[in-house]
Amino acid sequence: MEKIKFYFKTFLLVELLKGLALTGRYLFARKITVQFPEEKTPQGYRFRGLHAQRRYANGEERCIGCKLCEAVCPALAIKIEVAEREDGTRRTTQYDIDLTKCIFCGFCEESCPVDAIVETRIFEYHGEKKGDLYYTKPMLLAVGDKHEAQIARDRADDAKYR
Amino acid sequence: MNFLDIVFYVFAAITVFAAMGVITSRNPVNAALFLVLAFCSSAGIWMLLEAEFLAIVLVLVYVGAVMVLFLFVVMMLDINLVRLREGFWRWFPFGAGIAGLMVFEMIYVLGARQTSDTVHAVTHGADYSNTKELGRLLYTDYVYPFELAAVLLLVAMVAAIALTLRRRAGLKTQSISEQVQVQAADRVRIVKQMSAEGTDSATRK
Amino acid sequence: MMMDLLLSFEQAGQNLLGAAWLPLWTLVKIVLIVAPIMGAVAYTTLAERWVIGWIQIRIGPNRVGYFGLLQPIADGLKLLMKEIIIPTGANKFLFILGPILALMPALAAWAVVPFNAEMVLSNVNAGLLYILAMASLGVYGIIIAGWASNSKYAFLGALRSAAQIVSYEIAMGFALVCVLMAAQSMNLGDIVNGQKGHYGALNWYFIPLFPMFIVYFISGVAEANRAPFDVAEGESEIVAGFHVEYSGMAFALFFLAEYANMILISFLTSIMFLGGWLSPVPFLPDSIVWMLAKAVFVLFLFLWFRATFPRYRYDQLMRLGWKVFIPLSIIWVVVVGAWMQTPLWVW
Repeated sequence: MEKIKFYFKTFLLVELLKGLALTGRYLFARKITVQFPEEKTPQGYRFRGLHAQRRYANGEERCIGCKLCEAVCPALAIKIEVAEREDGTRRTTQYDIDLTKCIFCGFCEESCPVDAIVETRIFEYHGEKKGDLYYTKPMLLAVGDKHEAQIARDRADDAKYR
Repeated sequence: MNFLDIVFYVFAAITVFAAMGVITSRNPVNAALFLVLAFCSSAGIWMLLEAEFLAIVLVLVYVGAVMVLFLFVVMMLDINLVRLREGFWRWFPFGAGIAGLMVFEMIYVLGARQTSDTVHAVTHGADYSNTKELGRLLYTDYVYPFELAAVLLLVAMVAAIALTLRRRAGLKTQSISEQVQVQAADRVRIVKQMSAEGTDSATRK
Repeated sequence: MMMDLLLSFEQAGQNLLGAAWLPLWTLVKIVLIVAPIMGAVAYTTLAERWVIGWIQIRIGPNRVGYFGLLQPIADGLKLLMKEIIIPTGANKFLFILGPILALMPALAAWAVVPFNAEMVLSNVNAGLLYILAMASLGVYGIIIAGWASNSKYAFLGALRSAAQIVSYEIAMGFALVCVLMAAQSMNLGDIVNGQKGHYGALNWYFIPLFPMFIVYFISGVAEANRAPFDVAEGESEIVAGFHVEYSGMAFALFFLAEYANMILISFLTSIMFLGGWLSPVPFLPDSIVWMLAKAVFVLFLFLWFRATFPRYRYDQLMRLGWKVFIPLSIIWVVVVGAWMQTPLWVW
């Protein structure tokens, strides 16, 4: 009896029809594609995108050139040179991030004692020629200056979980 | 010289050219493809004689099936041309003798028929079905020869399979019908497993 | 009205050009058939991407032109611009001939396909045989391309597809034998007219020949090398099969051939089993619209199959062809033959 039932099922292609019915249902299902430039998926405040260097409210750059980020960076994407400024403080003369090497792990941000290097929510950036994605200190500072409000808000949101 | 004559000579020229190609080309694949071309153009000539059934069956059976299998084999062969050529002169008189015999036979057969301009193929109206007539003849007047030929082919087929079928001992093969008949219940057993209290990751602190 | 206009137009042409008129007029008719088919092929590719996208809960192409309607044109332009690379050691002549031979039978078969009672390029009596012959020629493009490429994967793909097409052709042929027994004619127009009756869709051949309808359609899918029978391409096993080495327009020709074959099989299925241009309900008039609607439905089945079924394993595919379809279709030929001798045959 089982065998007869099985043969009927095989010859009437029951399983194939079941499969077709399943895909047929999905034909009319609500589509989940995000139409990217017009629609975007929501981002969290821990999003790790393009890097930025921050300043204090008085305009002084935060970075003290401790090189912790350079040391922790698993992709060796950060290069730092340090010198003493006229006022006797320790400051970086060179702070470069090669974004083509960076793996956006966020360790630099975690290691920074003064919250100088941060990762922002920006992810739609590009370079048109070789070297465009090699970010130098002024470029990082410019990103920080431009998005300081957003960066500060994200840090404040995250603070209560730290 | 009307349109049909031109078409005939075009097809005839292609047939002769292709037939020459079959025996002159060095690469066996090219030779087989020339043979395909020869079949196609002779199908065209048959079509001119209103033998559309035979013409299409020629394309269907010889071009579409037989030659495909031929090509199949020829393409997989690794043919050493040098070895193929040795002994050419030794066998040449034999081949030439057979060729001469065939030419003589063809002249004898074709020369016996009256082939003057007054003899033409019988023409029929547009509603005449060559296929139907052929079928009627085959299954009435010629039913015994036809069935005999069919039996002969069947015997040849069975013999060919029987001669080439070899079963080696200890050969491991897959049984596809067994594989296909497997049902989900034969392979998968779904077990209801209760998660122990306190070890669930959601409840862990 | 339309017919009268056409007839008077033909008369005028005959007077003007004499003997040259017939070939010229035939050429015009060929273009009138082939051009829409090529357009249909282009938009079938778009439809395929849409349908498969929808089934995978995506949207599908919608960027080029309104709703992505210019996508096939963009694709075509891209392929036109690309370089055709001929591999070293390839047989140049056959390498170029391959794609042409693949497309040629797919288009040549349309010569005998009727679109409605009057619209057919060549109303030959052996139409069904002609279709079978053309379908069997399609394999040459693939086998020549695979061999001429001088590449292992291409050759493997060609061998696979040649064996597959030759095997499924037999089942397809027997399915069509049932149709011609039922219709008592090999003329495609007569086959459709044989399905005429007072009960609309109930008079069509897919009811008495239902197993053959299924066998024919599945063999058609296999014949067109479409999923789930696309082992000739088998991306995951042999890269892309017989057309690995092809690029640019040469590749595009294979693509066109595949889709032209799909459309051809859709039309043939609707002619043989679904009543062609006949209306499914008695109170609506017969028209070419029905024909197109049925063909589009069958074409949709092709896409639906591709989105649903995983690829057959090659040995299982051969088993299906030789051990299931061929015996089944031979049995059904006998069944139909016996059935037609009884008064129970009402079709």
